Amino acid sequence: MVKKPAAEYAGIPLPEVEVFSNVLLGAETTEKVLNALDGIEHIRQINMTGESISKTIGSGPAKGLPNEHTERKVIKVGGRDVELCYLVGAFYIELDVENADMLDSVVVTIDKACKKTMPKGYTIGVGRFNKFRDSAHDYRND
Amino acid sequence: MAAYKRQFYPGTTSPAKARRRYMDPKVKLKNLRDVSMDDVVRIMGHRNPGEDYRSIHPPIEEGKEPECPIRKLVAPIEGAKHGDRVRYIQFTDSVYFAPISPYQRAWMYLSRYRGVDTGTLSGRQIIEMRERDLEVLAKEMIDNETFDPALTGIRGATVHGHACRLDEHGLMFDGWQRYIWDDDKKEVIYVKDQVAIPLDRKISVGKPASMNDLKKRTTIFRADGVDMRDDKEVTKYGIRIHYMRTLGGYQPFNVKDM
Repeated sequence: MVKKPAAEYAGIPLPEVEVFSNVLLGAETTEKVLNALDGIEHIRQINMTGESISKTIGSGPAKGLPNEHTERKVIKVGGRDVELCYLVGAFYIELDVENADMLDSVVVTIDKACKKTMPKGYTIGVGRFNKFRDSAHDYRND
Repeated sequence: MAAYKRQFYPGTTSPAKARRRYMDPKVKLKNLRDVSMDDVVRIMGHRNPGEDYRSIHPPIEEGKEPECPIRKLVAPIEGAKHGDRVRYIQFTDSVYFAPISPYQRAWMYLSRYRGVDTGTLSGRQIIEMRERDLEVLAKEMIDNETFDPALTGIRGATVHGHACRLDEHGLMFDGWQRYIWDDDKKEVIYVKDQVAIPLDRKISVGKPASMNDLKKRTTIFRADGVDMRDDKEVTKYGIRIHYMRTLGGYQPFNVKDM
């Protein structure tokens, strides 16, 4: 089942900034990036994606043992706890902006924040990557 | 009539030369590290170091084999002579310029060793052999230049990661984190064995090679490395195989001696 995103669906396709990292980021770096993005205005929600780290070992002779992965932990972002279950590969930052100028200024701010915290590099782009309204899938699950 | 001289692999570019080098049994591959045999056995996880080998049939010398001319012709390997179990080791090679890739591993094993049962998939390469001989082979494969601590993984199960981006330390992704990066010594350390059962003590497999060095000795053709289309002979060989297969199935009478 697909997890619902953090904020309610906007209903309209607000612009999303995709920050695609060149390397898979560990927990510490993700924490730094999220804290750097925390204060920026007009951000509605941030979705992250990456390679999943399971809680327990799922198959083989070690099935059922806890998967002690150093990057699977709870990080602190702006006073809140976020449980990371992934090695993060990309951030999708949904913006609540009204015109192109606002969008450009926010993208520049995001770019600055990422440059400081992601030394190995990334590509940044604006588009629409996630759902913004209910679909048949949501209707079926509710 | 002269005996057939193996040519191994076509091509003039560096990945093609690397492939020839790995396949040719006369070429001795360099040892880049020395992981002790006990440590290799611990990583494989089939028996404890020092334990006796378990056997599945009595030794061949006892003479209970049936009469067979083929059995007389083929000299058994050490493990077969003692009746060892058949056990495995599985390697995963990252697409980001790992020294060798699964299909070339298969060619290399079959070219250099006897008594090998190998299976090749896109993300992993497994080798099954009698336990005694497998341990010798595994130690050689871990010590020599086909193994890079960061880009080659010894994974028995859940091998996902060969096509993922590398992580911040340059290691290939492993969902079960069988190995970690030691930032003080700048080495890769195995903390779990190949099926993710935690090890009693950590096993260091040494420092990973630099990306420049790996790009020179990889066997992988990549668009951002050496493109296969740049090596005319290899492309011709690939196209010829596909052409002959298709023609042979479609109009076998049109396959002339080419």
